[in-house]
Amino acid sequence: MSIRIAGLAITLFAAVSIATSSLAADDASVKKDLFTVITLQGLPCGEVVRYTTKNDNDHVVVCKDGNRYHVYVNAQGRVVVEKQ
Amino acid sequence: MKAPSIIATFMLLLLAGCAGTPFLAPRAPPQPAAPSPSPSPAVIPPTTAAAAQPSELAAPPSTAPVAPPQAAAPPIAAAPPAATLPNPSAAKAAGSTVTAAAKPPAPAAQLPKAASPTTDIAKPKTPPLDLTSLEQRLKSTNAIGVLTKLTLKNQVDDLLDKFRAYYQGKLKTTLADLRRSYDLLVQKVLALLQDSDPPLATDIVASREPIWGILSDPKKFATI
Repeated sequence: MSIRIAGLAITLFAAVSIATSSLAADDASVKKDLFTVITLQGLPCGEVVRYTTKNDNDHVVVCKDGNRYHVYVNAQGRVVVEKQ
Repeated sequence: MKAPSIIATFMLLLLAGCAGTPFLAPRAPPQPAAPSPSPSPAVIPPTTAAAAQPSELAAPPSTAPVAPPQAAAPPIAAAPPAATLPNPSAAKAAGSTVTAAAKPPAPAAQLPKAASPTTDIAKPKTPPLDLTSLEQRLKSTNAIGVLTKLTLKNQVDDLLDKFRAYYQGKLKTTLADLRRSYDLLVQKVLALLQDSDPPLATDIVASREPIWGILSDPKKFATI
């Protein structure tokens, strides 16, 4: 019985760990994407420190240099980067 | 009771090791000797606008792994010596004086033979421009994020609008200015692709002039 519980715990732990690392990878790719978008607009941003997602394709980004940007896709399908 | 705890410790160590591993995007192997019709990255004319761009995306072209043409040349140049001296160890055994005496006429005699494949490779047939395929590959590549792709698409559309306005006489600019904008946009795309999707970057470099050929010709431009 105790072996079963231990096995279950291991499986759960493994699943959580894999999910966490996968989320971290996603997070890094979103940060990279947001950073690229900001720099493509010619705006300064040393590095994306964190971001909050408001909606689909709608983020508030905080850069390492202290700049904050609202990055979103408008109704015309254009990516807009607004300094806040 | 001991066995599960040992297994648990082992799994924990295993996962801890995985968690510390940085995420690496799959990289395509470098293309060793593929003869590319494209110019070297150094040949890409860096526009002044690109130099003035504050963006960190304007990666130095020197780091571009896009089809190094020098990589194609050495194997060809190295081929004749390999043919004349197939077994270096045997040559060493025979003595350096013997090889020195025997060798000089051989490369001279074999140079014309080696020259013909060189010229064949130096003049590769220019591949037909496949805009649809390039567009599809750009859409499907994982090297660029969704928002970045959308931003680039917007910038491409803006540039096409500029060309349209220029040909309609509504925009007071020169073809040289448009060329600068075009180069800058291509460089942005290449900077994004060169590390994560080198084959696509290479193909874009190869298509750069054909695409400009379409853009700069009002008749061809009207067809797109």
